[in-house]
This record gives sequence, C-alpha cells and structure tokens, in this order.
Amino acid sequence: MKKFRPAAFVAGLSALALTLSGCAPAEELTPTPTASETSTTEEAQLAPLLTVGWNDITDHFNTSTAGGNNVANSLTEYLTSSGFNYYDNGPGLVRNTDFGTYEIVVEEPLTVKYTINDGVVWSDGTAIDGADMLLAWVSTFGYYKNEDGSYVFAHAAPKDNLASKLPTVEGNSITFEYDVQYVDWELQFGVGVSAHGTVMMAYPEITDPAAAKQALIDAVANGDDEWMAGVAEVWNNGYQFANTPDNALAYLSSGPYVLEELVEEQYSTHVINPLYNWGPKPKYERITIRQIADSTAAIQAVDNGEVQIASGQPTADVLALVQALANADYASSEEAAYEHIDLSVNNGGPFDPASYGGDEETALKVRQAFLLSIPRNEIIEKLIKPLNPTAKLRTSVLFVPGSEGYDEAESNYEMYLGTDEENRAKAQELLAEAGVSTPIDVEFWYPEGNVRRQQQVELITLAAGQVGFNIVDESEPNWEFTGNVYPAVNPHDATIFAWAATSLAVSGDDQYLTLEGPSNWTGYDNEVVDGLINELNTAVKKEDQLRIRLAIEAELAKDAYNITIFQFPGLTWWDNSVTGVEPSLLVPYYFWNFWDWTPTAG
Amino acid sequence: MLSFIVRRAAATLMVLLVASFIVYNLTAISGDPLLELRGSRDPDIQFRIDYLTDILDLDVPPPIRYFYWLGGAAGCLIGSCNLGISVSRGEIPVTEALSGAVASTVQLIALATVLSIIVGVAVGMTTALRQYSGYDYTVTFFAFIFYSLPIFWVAVLLKEFGAIQFNRFLAEPVIPTTTAILIALGLAALVTGIVGGGLQTRIRAFVSSLALSGLLILFLNITQWLKYPSIGTVGVVMLTLLAAGVVILLSIGFGMRRGVLIVTGMAAISGAMWLPGQYFFFYVPGALGIFGWIAVMTLIGVAVGLLFGGDGRKEIARAAGTTGFLAGIIMVIDEALQYWDQYIGLIPLQTGFISTIGAVTPSIKRQENMWLDLLDSYAHLILPTAALMIISVAGYTRYSRASLLEVMNQDYIRTARAKGLNERTVVVRHAMRNALLPIATIVPVDITGLIGGAVITEQVFAWNGMGSLFIRGLNAVDVNLVMGYVMVVGLMAVIGNVIADLLYSALDPRIRIS
Repeated sequence: MKKFRPAAFVAGLSALALTLSGCAPAEELTPTPTASETSTTEEAQLAPLLTVGWNDITDHFNTSTAGGNNVANSLTEYLTSSGFNYYDNGPGLVRNTDFGTYEIVVEEPLTVKYTINDGVVWSDGTAIDGADMLLAWVSTFGYYKNEDGSYVFAHAAPKDNLASKLPTVEGNSITFEYDVQYVDWELQFGVGVSAHGTVMMAYPEITDPAAAKQALIDAVANGDDEWMAGVAEVWNNGYQFANTPDNALAYLSSGPYVLEELVEEQYSTHVINPLYNWGPKPKYERITIRQIADSTAAIQAVDNGEVQIASGQPTADVLALVQALANADYASSEEAAYEHIDLSVNNGGPFDPASYGGDEETALKVRQAFLLSIPRNEIIEKLIKPLNPTAKLRTSVLFVPGSEGYDEAESNYEMYLGTDEENRAKAQELLAEAGVSTPIDVEFWYPEGNVRRQQQVELITLAAGQVGFNIVDESEPNWEFTGNVYPAVNPHDATIFAWAATSLAVSGDDQYLTLEGPSNWTGYDNEVVDGLINELNTAVKKEDQLRIRLAIEAELAKDAYNITIFQFPGLTWWDNSVTGVEPSLLVPYYFWNFWDWTPTAG
Repeated sequence: MLSFIVRRAAATLMVLLVASFIVYNLTAISGDPLLELRGSRDPDIQFRIDYLTDILDLDVPPPIRYFYWLGGAAGCLIGSCNLGISVSRGEIPVTEALSGAVASTVQLIALATVLSIIVGVAVGMTTALRQYSGYDYTVTFFAFIFYSLPIFWVAVLLKEFGAIQFNRFLAEPVIPTTTAILIALGLAALVTGIVGGGLQTRIRAFVSSLALSGLLILFLNITQWLKYPSIGTVGVVMLTLLAAGVVILLSIGFGMRRGVLIVTGMAAISGAMWLPGQYFFFYVPGALGIFGWIAVMTLIGVAVGLLFGGDGRKEIARAAGTTGFLAGIIMVIDEALQYWDQYIGLIPLQTGFISTIGAVTPSIKRQENMWLDLLDSYAHLILPTAALMIISVAGYTRYSRASLLEVMNQDYIRTARAKGLNERTVVVRHAMRNALLPIATIVPVDITGLIGGAVITEQVFAWNGMGSLFIRGLNAVDVNLVMGYVMVVGLMAVIGNVIADLLYSALDPRIRIS
C-alpha cells in the first residue's frame, strides 16, 4: 500500500491542476496584436512597407567624407535628404525647385547664389538655411587646412583651388564666388549634413539649434580655427554608425524619409518624414533596404516575397532565373561603365607614327584599320544581347547613349558604323593604302580572369586575323600598365577595359586626354584637344559645353583615338506588388524615382 | 597541465605569426584594391586613389607593410587591439566588424551544431546496433551522398523547395493522398528498420507506425497544422510523455516501476503547470521568463524525484529533472506559437513564413516582442540550419557508428552481458558512454572550424557573419579585414584543439597530458 502513495499523490495533484486550468480564462494571457502597426487615419493612404535589396547598406551618414563616400551610403542619403537637383534616368540633371533654387548672379567672376525655400526643415523641425550651406561650403572647398597641408574637414574631394573667398550667408541663402570659371559648378555644391546637429554633437553644451547655427557662422567669420577643428572632428568621424545611432542629431533628414532603424550588415529601415512637403511624395510608409550580396539569393528573395525590388549584374544564369520568376517583372538596362579599346601611340608599336618613320598618315590608317577590324556587332550580338536584349553599340567617348548630343557625337564615327563585314573590307583597303606589310603584331592587354573580356578578345583575334592583324595575348591579372603615366609608356599596343562614369560632370576628361593626365595610358596628345579642354573647363554655359565637347569628340574620331563598344548591362527585377520601377545608370540607380514606386491595387 | 597550456599558447603564437605573415602577403598580392577606381572617370578619382594609398600605406611593399599591421595587432596581447580599418566596410575598425560577424555566425551555427550532434549520434548509434541491416545500409548510403553534396547546391535547392514552394503550398496546406501514403510508407519502413527483430515484430512495427503516421498526416491536414502550428495543453502533455519515454529509455530503464511512474507523471504535471506557466510568461517578460520557467520545471522534476523516489531517488530525480527541463522547453515553444497569427500578420510574405535571407525580419524586430523574435529566428534559421545539418549529421553518423561498434566488441561488454545485464543497460550504461568519448573530442574542433567555415551557407542565405566578411575582404583586396578573419579563425582552430585535448584527458582517465 505504502508503495503506491507517491504516485497517487502526483496523479491527484495533476488532476486537480488540470481541472483548474480548464476553468480559468486563458485567453486573457494570449497576445492581441499591438496598435503600433495599424496606421493612423492620416497615413491610411500609404502602403505600409516596401523592402528592396542591395549588396550593402549604409554605415555612414555623412557621404561627403572620404570614409563615407560610397554607393550604399548614398542610397540612404538619397531617401533621407532633399537637394537642389538630382539625376533622372535620362540621364539628366533635374532641378528640385520645391526645395530651393540656385542661380548665377555674376558671370565673371562666377558668383552663384543658393536659396532654400521657407518652411524647408530638418526632421527635428529646425530650418535648413545658410548655416547648413556654410558648413557644406567650408568642407567642399577645403577652406581649413592643417599645418602639414592636409584638410581639416576630410572631404572626399576637397576643391580648395575652386573657391577661397568666404561666402555671404543671409538667412536662407548663401552667395559665393568661384576663383575660376568652373564648368561643373552645378554639381559641385549642395547641402550636406546639418550645421546645428554637427555643432551640437561637437559641443553638447549648446542646446539651442539657432545658437548652434549662429556659433558656426560666427566662428567661420571670426577665424576661430580651434573651435572649428572640434566641429570638423564630428563632421569627419561623428557620423559613422553600424547600428542606429543613439543621438538623433546624427541622422537628421531633409527628405521624404527618416532613418528609423539600422542593423549592422542586415538592413536599414526608413520611415516617412511627417514634416516633408517639399518635393514628390512617396507612396510607402516605410522603405527597408536589406543587404543581399548574392544575385541568386536576391532573385529567390523576390520570388519568396521577402524583397520586392533587387538588381544585379546579369549573367546568362541570373537572367534565366529572373525570367523564370512567375510573379515578377524585370528590366534590362545599361550601367554607367562602358567597354572600350584604347591604342597606344607612343610605345613604338604598330599604332605609333614612330614605327613608320614618323609618318602620321600611315599610323592613322593602321589605327583606323585595327579599330574597324573589331567585330563590334558580333560582340554585342553574342555577348551582350543575351543579357540585355535592348543593348546597342556605344560609339562615343564623351557621350552616354541617350544623353543630349550623343547622336551628333556618333556621326563623327560614321566609317565605323557599318556591318562587321563591311568594316573588315574597309580595314583591308586602308591597310593596302597604308602599304604596310601584314600580318601586323598587336600586343593586346586584357584583365586575366575576366571571362567576358576573354570571349571578346577571342572574337577580336579571329576577326582582326582576317584583316591582317595578329593579336598577341598580353593578358595579366593586374593593371600594371596603369602605373605608366607620361613620360613612361604603356608596353601594350591595345588595351580593353571599361571606364565608369559616376556623374554627368563634363570636367575631368583631361585626366585621360591630355598627355600628362594621370589616366592617359595611350600617350594621346593633341594640341587642339588640349585647347578645347581648357576652354571647356571654364565654359559655364550649357550650350558652350555641348559645342566644345562635340568638337573634342570630332578630334578624337579623326585621330582614331579609340573605339567604344557597349554599355555594361544591368538588370533590375521586382515583384508584381509594386509598379513604377525604372532603372537608371547613374547613382542612385533604380532608387532615383522611389517616390513613383506604387503598390499594385488589391 | 599548466605547462601544457603554456607550451600550447607559445606554439599558438608562433603558428599565428607565421600564418599571418604568409596570408598577409598572399592577400596583398592577390589583387589591386584600387582596381575599381582606376576604371572610373570621376573627376575626383585621383584624390580618392591618393587618399586610399595614404591610409592603407599601399606604397609600402607588402612584406614591410605587414610589420605595420603587426604593430597594431601585437596590441591585442596587452588588451588594446588595433587591426586597422576596413575600407570595404566603410572604414570602420576591423575589430568592430569582427565582433558583429562572430556574433551572427555563432547564432547561425549554434542550433545547427547542437541538432547535428544529437541527430547524428542518435542515428549513428542506432545503425551500429543494427549493423548490416537494411536500415544500416540505407543510412550509410545517404550519409555518403549527403557528405559529398556541394552545399551551395543544397542550399539553393532548399530555398527553392523548402521556402518558396513550401510557402506557396501553405496557401492551401493539404497534403495530397498519394504523397501522404508515400510519406507514411517511408516512415513506417524507417521505424521497422530501427526496431529490427523477428518477422512478427517487424510486421507489428510496420503496421502500427504506418497507422500512426497516417493519423498524423490526417491530423495535419484537418487542422491545417502546418499553416497554424500550435501545441496546446494536450500537445504539451503528449510531447512531455514522449520526452519522458526517451529519457527513461536512456536513463533508468522501464524496469524500475516507481521511476517510470514518476517520470511519466511529469507529463501530467506539465499539463497541470500549463496555466500557471501562462501567468508566469505574462508577468516575467524577457529571457528571464524563458529560463526561469525551464528552471522551475526542472526543479519540480528534481523535487518530485527526490521526494517520492525511494531507494533510487538520485537516479529518478535526475531523469525526472531532465524530463522537466524538456517539458519546460516544450512549454516555451507552446507559448511562442500562441503568437503565430500575429507573426504571420506582420511579415511581408504573402503565404507561408519560411524566410530565405538574413537573420531577422525588419517589421518583426521593430515590435520588440521576444516571442515574435523567437518565431522570426526560427523562420530564418530553419533553412541554413538544415543546410548545415545535412552535411554535419552525415559526418557525426559515421563517427558515432564506428565508435559504438568498436566499443561493443570489447571484452568488458561481453563481461557485462555475461553477468546477466539486459541489452538496454549494456548499451546505454556501458557502451554508449565510452563510445561518446571520441565524439566529445571532435565537437570542439568542429565548432571552432564552423565559425570560419560557413562561407558558402552565409553567402547563399545572405547571412552576414564571418564567411561573408571573408568573401567581402577578399573581393575588395581589403587586407586588414581578411587578416582579422584569419586571426579569429586561426585562434579558434588552436583553441578548439586545446579544448579537445583537455576534454579527452578529463573524460578518459587513461590519457594524461604532460
């Protein structure tokens, strides 16, 4: 009897408890949905959330700094800031007059005035005004320098040679003078991080935003360099965060969204800015950017509904996967980088007049013949069309296809626009005219390990062989020739690689077109071009710029400087729950019109 | 012992020194960190190139630059690490990048490792006990297949079928009859294989498990359990009963009547404690609630065992405590599943819940509700865990099978049988414990290896731990980042080996370290 008692006790206890639990109202303890996700009446017309994929997420909220200047940071910046202008998918520069205006007040010396509209405020309610632009000005134009010549504000590209006279700040506007007639002035200046936020993070004892702004203006005017060094310290390093910063001053927004949450290496969420009423209004309450490095993963994430928009470099596999998506659309597009073949004209090779006893004419014909023998149409058909069915040839050094002036630029290259067959025939004629003996050895460089380039070179080798060029493979993994800036010479006769344009800036071409430019690896030297570039760098007016650039293009075509082939293909895909996605080839890529992203009805 | 550790530490330092020198130079010459910049037509690019050249000392040849790096790294010995900055991670200090990456990798591999060991050892040991049976051959066959599968392929397929297709299936979660029959037959065959025995036993096992799995699938279909999973009081009692059965099998055995009563009684207790548990979770929020409740259940088990255990109270208390512990976990899962509907309502997926990328759903993390976070981790971890497990389980299966077979053939097992012990006692008490020794020494090496080794799994599941950190560093020729990775992984490998050595000597008195 005694043996069974414990068991009976346990059983009895359990039975009792079971009965009790049956009686009690357990429902009260089970959760009910919280109210936070249900949106208020005002935001009712906004769709709750859109998630997009990118290969990296932000970790720096001051994209003007050397450390924070990258694409992932600029995407979050684009969502959380407004500016005087932005790039559309033309690509072209669009002014945003809802935010503010800018104008040239004096043409010579170039003096510009930027004015921010009334009522345009940071997300903490402080007005965006001249103080913010003053902070942008001192950093952009490298106004403060250390004793060793380095810049106090570690801007990504400080331009102390462009402007040195302190600007005049009046309320919402700033007026300043350029030291040179600078062609890209429109792209040079804009509002960066907030002045009061930066000052208040540097000097926490200042708690009034207006006082902070005034302190900054005074310090610049009075030359209080020591005080400014403290501001610079925060400007340089105080905006770097892998996770949501504790201090809201570090991520003040002037745009449609405010950063809500940042999780290191995972995602950043941006929530609508209730104060924002200057510029296009987005249709989602939140936009989340998730970090997905792998294209296949991004495709499957769209398929699974975790992510609505993603983009990546297309390969045949990636494109096939995207096309197989049942509930998604995609757009093949072009990217900013373009493939081109450059010819060295000063290395004693087949394209150097020196090889023909200084006979410019012969060398030109050989160059033209070689450029003609490159099977550009075949490359597009076989290698690029499978990835971007709408791909077209690019035939201009300076102009992106579709941009203003491209058609005229292309017309300079008329002799190259025939079919590959016709071009080869022309090339053979030219070689015959030049009277050089074939086959001509061409030492050809391409980056080893890049499959697409390798395939291009195979096609080129075959085609050029028919004309009379013998391609000598000089591929190597590193771009060692790029160390050979004038007066050193590039050992390769021809090189194939891509230039990536990151903006529509018209200056900077001197880097590869003038003899002493740091990226001129061909030895190209043309006095007319040098003169035109000098003229361009001070041509403030749009129509002058276009005229001069077309003139440069004509010179390049005449000299058979190089041949461009194609714009790199890009691919963007999105699921059917969203419409209005349009890829663009410049930063911020497909984000450029995020305010047009619209949820599909139902 | 101390001298052993000191000697190993010195050796470790030397190994790391040499390895870091070699890796540093190999990484530095593997490519040009400025490659992308050289192809840019940005007017400001030269400034950028100069800037990076300056902060990374690119103008210094790698073998000399290594010593700059070493100078900072040597600070780790005195507690002020400076592994440089990572240019591919927005110039944050490498140490900072590493700490985040290690944490998320540990999160990824922890569950996979524990489950792999449990499943792998269980399967391996059962195959050893049924050596040369159909079950053994089948498991061996699949173990070799899984062991040789490329994980990138497994992972992508898992995402396609385990997530995308499964989520679509969940829109209308009814298992078709043909599939149901096939699954039931498969399960029945598996159970029969494990049970073994004579023809009659086999038939009985086959028929009963066929019926049971058929009923289970019917249950899933009727309740749409796959779409709306829940446990409830009845489920808690039944699962605890199941847990109690396993615990009894592995510990006191079914012969001890009092013990069996008490341990299975834990099922009734868990049912009785279900409602108090609801109050407990309500009033004690956070991780404290979870651990507190598991502790409460464990203590109840121990207390009941000690109070009513009689002569075998120690053993019974241990078994009842273990059962209580497991019951606590079951009840925590039950509580989490009560948030299921809310969870499903918050995630962006149209149907289903299984996620293919990352570690968290942003809209869930914002809720700051631990139970939702728990469900969210589950939805994110299930696939990468499965991918990692498929391969690890195969390994552990082979190890434990071989190990148990070896032990079973030793003399003392024969002695144990000869003195009349039943087969369960021989296997569980005498053979299994010794067979686990070699496994215990594999585990630390395996875990530390996994910390650096889940490169592909992380890449495919967009899980940003050590693996993706390494890939990113290599792609960008970010030498500092790669070196940070190498340091952590190198250190881990050495520590894993030291732990394995120490563990072996602690577990097996025949082995002494000197």
